[in-house]
Amino acid sequence: VSTGEKPVLSLRDAVRRYVPDGQELLIGGFAFSDPTALAHELIRQKRKGLYIMKTSGGVLVDQLVGAGCADRLLSCHVWNSVGPVPAHCFRRALEQRKPHAIEIEELSYGAFTMSLLAGACDLPFMPTTPVQGTGHFTQRTFLPNKFAVVDNPFGGGAVCVVPPLKPALGVFHVQRVDKFGNAQMFGPTGEMRYAMAACKKLIVIAEEMVDTKVIRERPEATVAPGFMVDAVVVEPWAAHPTDSYGYYYRDLPHNALYGEMSRTEEGFQRYVDEWIIGTGNHAGFMAKLGSERAAELRIRKEGW
Amino acid sequence: MAAATRFEQMFLTGAGRIKDGAVLFVGFHWPMLMSRIARRLHAPNIVVVYENGIVEDRLTSVLPTSPCDLASAEQATTCAGSLEALYMWLGSGRVQMTLVEAAIVDRYGNVNTTAVGPYLQPKVRLPGSGGGTELSSLGRDLMLVSASVNKRSYPASVDYITSPGYLSGAQERNRLGYKPGTGPKTLVNPLGIFKFDENGEMYAAGLHAGVTPDEARATFGWPIKVQSNHEVLPAPNEDELKVIRQELAHAKERYYLLPEG
Repeated sequence: VSTGEKPVLSLRDAVRRYVPDGQELLIGGFAFSDPTALAHELIRQKRKGLYIMKTSGGVLVDQLVGAGCADRLLSCHVWNSVGPVPAHCFRRALEQRKPHAIEIEELSYGAFTMSLLAGACDLPFMPTTPVQGTGHFTQRTFLPNKFAVVDNPFGGGAVCVVPPLKPALGVFHVQRVDKFGNAQMFGPTGEMRYAMAACKKLIVIAEEMVDTKVIRERPEATVAPGFMVDAVVVEPWAAHPTDSYGYYYRDLPHNALYGEMSRTEEGFQRYVDEWIIGTGNHAGFMAKLGSERAAELRIRKEGW
Repeated sequence: MAAATRFEQMFLTGAGRIKDGAVLFVGFHWPMLMSRIARRLHAPNIVVVYENGIVEDRLTSVLPTSPCDLASAEQATTCAGSLEALYMWLGSGRVQMTLVEAAIVDRYGNVNTTAVGPYLQPKVRLPGSGGGTELSSLGRDLMLVSASVNKRSYPASVDYITSPGYLSGAQERNRLGYKPGTGPKTLVNPLGIFKFDENGEMYAAGLHAGVTPDEARATFGWPIKVQSNHEVLPAPNEDELKVIRQELAHAKERYYLLPEG
């Protein structure tokens, strides 16, 4: 916990400073507000051995797996939801161990939410919906205690519970932030409020930096008060090709392009070379995407 | 106009079960299109909730590619979160009907969207649960939707239970403490509509015109019962078919992959 002004870092410096090889890292977003720009920077800096936690994996996790950055994955869903088409790299890793084997542990979205809520509140566990008899209840890999069943102390039989999840580091996409780290999201928030509070260290990647008086106009939109935030990155379009509510739409053609290119290992490598390595940074990525395309996706008009 | 395909007919059969004014929990993919078609045909006042916390009570200008395509939040009355959606609305019993896609489904309505073959060395890896587990665990009047007529989609028992049906039979679900009234009630697919008996076993209750009981039997990986005097489900009329085809064409524009033919 710290108050006062927060370090404002470039994405490159944030990754350098906070995400060494082997880092345990929860990445925010639920197929909207996925900070894809973070994944690109992790790939550019050739991170290895990461333990990635992400509720909805999507294209972001697919890219990290395809590029060989992740060894472990905790998730509830990994797919390219446009089409929908498979997350091809994720499939190759699990079916053929390419580019290398990864360990996977799964929770359903509701159980993941409750586990983060327990972590956020520092409670010993949270009850969840019955999941006994399902695959993710019985199949456990690196989190053997991801579920337990206890007797309801107030009567009424068995209750399924999940332990607190407290990721060492969380990186989340938000719409706007001020210099004190007060971070605001608009639209649906999925599990993000609890996930942010569950993380031991928290970095936000914002579409824009605004004055604190702008934050004060909509205090109910603050998902993380500044004292929870360790560092701030300002990176417009960081969630592309997913949506950022009130700022831009999901980029369907780009999702389709990625789905097509990632069908083969060679195609995926071409995507990495052209769109991630070759662009140098996220501004370079957006320049390659082009201002016309960006204008089509942009929702936010002046005077939001 | 050419006669409706069975795939098209599935949308009418499924949409027909949706009551105007109902609160629905709608999962990813074809259930979204099905509820949209119901809204256009006979149920303009349905209120649809999604796992991310969005409440959609009107026809959005475009079909979202998934619940998290925030085209679904256009003019929404509520944008909340997963705790609200999955526990406060669904778990509490405030949602009256739940629609979930069932890529692979077995005799007892257990759905596999995770892995075919051994979990640690899968033959085919699928996306995983998302909120599908909660939808099947907690959803009232749960309708499973499958666009497949491939026998591999209907094994006697699934390799991995992502979304719990009646597990190894209705008694097991009760014994494990699942709430009364939950568990799949129907499955719709291009062949017709299927229900579950008191033991939790699926049977054919209604078949689309032209589908024979033998054809239905041949599609399932166990000797499925076909109700004697099963219902013969009507083909869409011209107005209904027009709406279904408009929506399928729209889905294609929105990058949905439609089945061949």
